[in-house]
This record gives sequence, C-alpha cells and structure tokens, in this order.
Amino acid sequence: MDREAARRLPAARAMTRPPPPAPRKRLGKLDWILLVLACAAAAWFAWRVSQLNNYRWNWAPVPQFFLRWDETSQSWVANVLLHGLFNTIRLTIFGMVLATAIGFGIGLMRTARDPFLRLVGRSYVELMRNTPPLVIIFVLYFFLSSQIVPQLGLEARIAALSPEARATLQFLFGDPRLIENFVAGLLCLALFEAAYIAEIVRAGIESIPRGQWEAAASMGLPRRHVLARVILPQAIARTVPPMCNQFVSLVKDSSIVSLVSIQELTFMATDVAVSTTRIYEVWITVAVVYFAVCFMLSLAFGRLERSYAARR
Amino acid sequence: MQRRTFIAAAAATLGAPALARAQASGAPAIEQVRQRGVLRAGLSTFVPWAMRDRQGGLIGFELDVGNRLAQDLGVRYEPQPTQWDGIIPALLAGRFDFIIGGMSITAPRLEQVDFSEHYSTSGLLMVANSRIAPNHTKVADFDRPDYTLTCRRGTTVAGVLGRLAPKATVRQFDDDAQAEQEVLNGRAHAWVASAPRPMFSALNHPTAMYVPFKEPFEPQREGIALRKNDPTTLAALNEWVRARHADGFLKARRAYWFETREWASQVAQG
Repeated sequence: MDREAARRLPAARAMTRPPPPAPRKRLGKLDWILLVLACAAAAWFAWRVSQLNNYRWNWAPVPQFFLRWDETSQSWVANVLLHGLFNTIRLTIFGMVLATAIGFGIGLMRTARDPFLRLVGRSYVELMRNTPPLVIIFVLYFFLSSQIVPQLGLEARIAALSPEARATLQFLFGDPRLIENFVAGLLCLALFEAAYIAEIVRAGIESIPRGQWEAAASMGLPRRHVLARVILPQAIARTVPPMCNQFVSLVKDSSIVSLVSIQELTFMATDVAVSTTRIYEVWITVAVVYFAVCFMLSLAFGRLERSYAARR
Repeated sequence: MQRRTFIAAAAATLGAPALARAQASGAPAIEQVRQRGVLRAGLSTFVPWAMRDRQGGLIGFELDVGNRLAQDLGVRYEPQPTQWDGIIPALLAGRFDFIIGGMSITAPRLEQVDFSEHYSTSGLLMVANSRIAPNHTKVADFDRPDYTLTCRRGTTVAGVLGRLAPKATVRQFDDDAQAEQEVLNGRAHAWVASAPRPMFSALNHPTAMYVPFKEPFEPQREGIALRKNDPTTLAALNEWVRARHADGFLKARRAYWFETREWASQVAQG
C-alpha cells in the first residue's frame, strides 16, 4: 500500500466521527480512596502473616551476602548473591541473543513454503511448548552436559589461554572452572525460549497481509527479497512488544536452570537460605532483586517500543 | 511434588547405561583426578555437612573430608555445589568425580552408583512443635493420622517415616529450611532430619520447638559415591577411608562439626 495514502486514511475518517476522549492523566478522588484501601489491605495482610507465622524476622544476615568487607584487601567485595545476580544477567544477555537467533530461524521455517521445513519447525515448537520446562531442562542438560559440551573441549582450551584472556572470559561467563556447566545451562535456556520467540516471529510474519506478498511478487521480486525487504521490516517492528515481554520472562525463567546447579541468583539464594535459616528474608530480598532487574528491562524496552512506534 | 525427583531419576535411568559404558571404557576416576590435578566433588547444602560461611565460602564436615582426600592425593580440591535432587544424575553425567556430601548408603542408590566404605555414621533426629505436639518422647508417639511430619525430599527420611509412622502424613520439601519452617509455623507437627540439625532448630527456637528424644534413631552410614564399574578407584577410596579412620582424622572432624558449635560464629545464622 502507498504510504502517503495509508497516512491520510485515518485523518479522513476523523472528519466524519468525533475523536475518542484522551485518556485521563491524573487520578480522581475515588481512585485515591481505592488506592489507600488497597494499601491498607496489603498492610493488614502483611501484619496477619507476621502474626500467624511463628517467625522471628531478622534481616541482618542478608546484606553481607551481596557485599562484604574483606579484611585482607581492605575493600568491599561481591559475595555469593551478587555473583549469582551477575550470572543471572549473563544468562539473560547471552540467552536473549542465542534464543533470538535460534527462534528467528525456527520462525522462518514455520512460515516456509517447503512442507519439510514447516514440519520441523512446527515439531520443535510444539515439543518445547507442550512439555514442562522442568523436564526439558533436566533431559537437555544431562544430555548436553555429558554428550555435547565435553566434545567442544572448552576446558583444555581455557587452560591454554593467557591470564588476560582468562580474565575477559571470567567477566563474560563467570568462573572459568564452571564454564562447561554454564554453557550447558545457557544452551538449555536458549533452546527452550527459542520456541516462544519462533512463535512471535511467525505471528509477526503472518500478520502482514497476503496482498503484500502478491504485490511484491507481481513486481518480479524473488521470494527472499520479498521477505527481506518488504515483509520482515514491517514484521519485526510488530514483534517488538511481544519480544520485550519474552525477554522479561527470560530473566525469570533463568531461575529454572538453578535446578541443574548453574550458580545463578536462585541457586545461590537456596544455599544462603539453608545456611542462614533466614528463608523468608533471603527469598523476599531475591524477589525484590528480580523485580528490579525485570522492571528496569521493561522501562528500557518501553522506550524501544516508543521509538519503533514513532518510526512507523 | 515428587515430580522433580522422578524426572531426575528418569533422566538418570535413560542416560545411565550409555554413560556407564562410556565411563567404564575410560581411565579410573582416581587416575583422571591425578592427571587433572583437581578433585571435583559434588555436595549440597546441609548444615553442618556443608554450608556457606559469612564470606560466601563453603565450610563443613564434607569440606574437611574432601580437602583432606585431595591433599592426600596431591591435588587441588574443587567442591561443586549441586542441587540434591540432581546430584546422582550429575555424577553419572561426569560433572564431578565423586559425591562427598553426606550421602548415606542405600539399596536404591547402590543400583545407580557405588559407595566407598562409610566414612561417617549418623542418625536421624526429630524436632517437634511445642504447641501442637507437646510432651512426646518417642517416634511412635507421632504415628497418628492427625499428625503431619516433614522432611527433605530425596533423602532417606521419607522411607523411614513411612515405616516408623505409617499413620502420619509425610510432606517433603526442597530443603531443610522449608521443612523446618513448616513445623515452626504450626502447619506440621514435627520435622525429621539428620542429627544434629534438628537439635540446632530447638536451640534457636526454645519456646516454639523441642526435641522429643536426644538419642538419634535409624543409624545411617555415609560413603563416598562414585560411578559404577571402577574397581581401581573404589579400592583406593576404601583404603583412604580406612587410613583416615585409623589415624582418628574422621572422628576428630566429625566431633568438631557435630558435637560442638564452635563453628557457629563463622556462619551468619540468626
């Protein structure tokens, strides 16, 4: 469709119909009353919980597991929970990149003309989507970590590296001694998330009207050019919101790999909770950390969405 | 809630035969340890077997055992913290060489892994809620249909309770802290775990919890777990365990971790 015409269309419609009222920006009196009531209910609930549970709250042991004062070096150093958070962030970033790459490939297969590719893509998505993540992670991990990852010979290669390269590696992937473990966990997570991303990509491609394919083809463009130059630029813009949603969910899903002992935030929190016996304090703190990470990600993606929307 | 253990077991069963063959064809585990210069041993957090100190490092009885074994082999020791549910599959998958993590020797486990001779013995203890289950003095007192007992999943405790208190409901949790909390909250009547952890619980909550009897029951023996079909390694580990029994090392470390609380200041417990 002609872009100029597309832009003019809503304007033409607006002349015949009154514009919808703009969304209110400020809270009214009733909104405030409801808000206060909701807060009171939450406070009452928290108070009841603290009464019911015969629990002595003690938050003092928790902060030192993020940062502790090191006597020998006379400085603040990261402790297990912070190391765990770093690993969660690593898993999230690499997980996003890998999952997007794999998911994009599978999504294209889902919309391919070749029935074999469609079959493979569909099977992958349905298998991953309709089995519990726990089962997938367990089976994939023990298969990957015992059969595939050792074949990469990561350990020997890392041992051969220079100290500087090792330091870079440590920054990127965490403790080099646990790198095989980390890679196996990361692959599990990426393969699992890729199925959902594939569906987003497929939905994005299929949301572009059939007519555009036909119009582009009738102008003599080969299929791959139609896909790359006409369909995908529009489809990708449309997939930005669900993709952001999926990335936020990936942060939380990364806690699943704690089951296979990847030393991320949830795994470390279990260790700390058991060692200190401060279960609620540790888990509430960890929940706040996850919230902070996800919320910041949501804000960043919100900005990205707006910039995409503005470009359209 | 047994799902996770079941999945781990299923994964292990599926993968084990192929892995066992692969492992059997390789060098004995102990040779691999010597060549690598590093001893990797799996463990999971159980106070006071293995736990995090204030610096985030691992301390506990198992760490002392692992350290000493590594020292005697002339290699470096790298403890590998692992989820208890998946620790046997992880050993079979070759993630580490042994499990040195307070794993008691049981028939079902012997079907999947081999054990060295036992390097420690332990028993179970119970801690009960003083309000809803007061004045009991033996396990049989808890064998009532209106009682709920808790324990950690994947341990031998559930089986023992099924035998000694068949009428009670047994609920299993991912870790000790949750199983303890349930009793503290009054949602379960007693929690059973390896001695001396339940004793600490009664000490930490003197008004809410009590230990019905001081003598541990159901004696259990802990051994070093290794992959099957490795007689060389098994013999070497057995010899090591015997030597450390003979020189009193194991007894002394056990006494330190299980009979004193001198280490308590290293751990941020509150």
